[in-house]
Amino acid sequence: MAAVSATCVRFRTSSAELSVRASNQIIGKSVSLVSLGWARTGVFPCIRTSRLQICAAKAETVEKVSEIVRKQLALSPETTLTPQTKFSELGADSLDTVEIVMGLEEEFNISVEEENSENITTIQEAADLIDRLVEKN
Amino acid sequence: MGGSGKARLSGMQKQVLALYRGFLRAARSKSPEERTRIEAFVSAEFRRNSSQVDRKNFLYIEYLLRRGKRQLDQLKSPDTVGLSSLNVEVSHGEKT
Repeated sequence: MAAVSATCVRFRTSSAELSVRASNQIIGKSVSLVSLGWARTGVFPCIRTSRLQICAAKAETVEKVSEIVRKQLALSPETTLTPQTKFSELGADSLDTVEIVMGLEEEFNISVEEENSENITTIQEAADLIDRLVEKN
Repeated sequence: MGGSGKARLSGMQKQVLALYRGFLRAARSKSPEERTRIEAFVSAEFRRNSSQVDRKNFLYIEYLLRRGKRQLDQLKSPDTVGLSSLNVEVSHGEKT
């Protein structure tokens, strides 16, 4: 009775130079309460209280996020998505969530900090964070 | 896996997710077709281990983390254009 299972990972190299995409770091901790400029850029107004931030993300952001989530989790078209739907309710595990956040980063050309991405559990939360980050750029 | 909403992730889970994120980020810098292959391989590898490795087997998970970090460092190098894997499976008789 013997079983041998081996996985070999080999890295192929070449002299070809590849550009490494530089990730722009956004400091996630400092939630900027400076709302200067949002009216000009036409961003949906956010109701901001001193500490707590109630931010209504743009409808199109929510729509785009839903699209990505749908694609990433390979949901059937019949599945209804609401902004409050938890990713875990859709059967997403923590690896799926990482994939969703990475997909969102690319789509919106943003960089989500590790500690922030952990707090994203719903489409609404994702959309709110994206709008905050896009505003800052 | 801490899939349910507000459940706090353990330090080790965070490390695993950070590693996964690192791999996906590194894959972005490769050519589109290599990227797809890397993503498929890495995703399959993480998912396989997430279901097969006992979540209490910290020693083994730590080993996998260290190995993963090393592999990620290699993948990050601009000289690395892709990744290929070789699976060898030999088994005699009945599995226990």
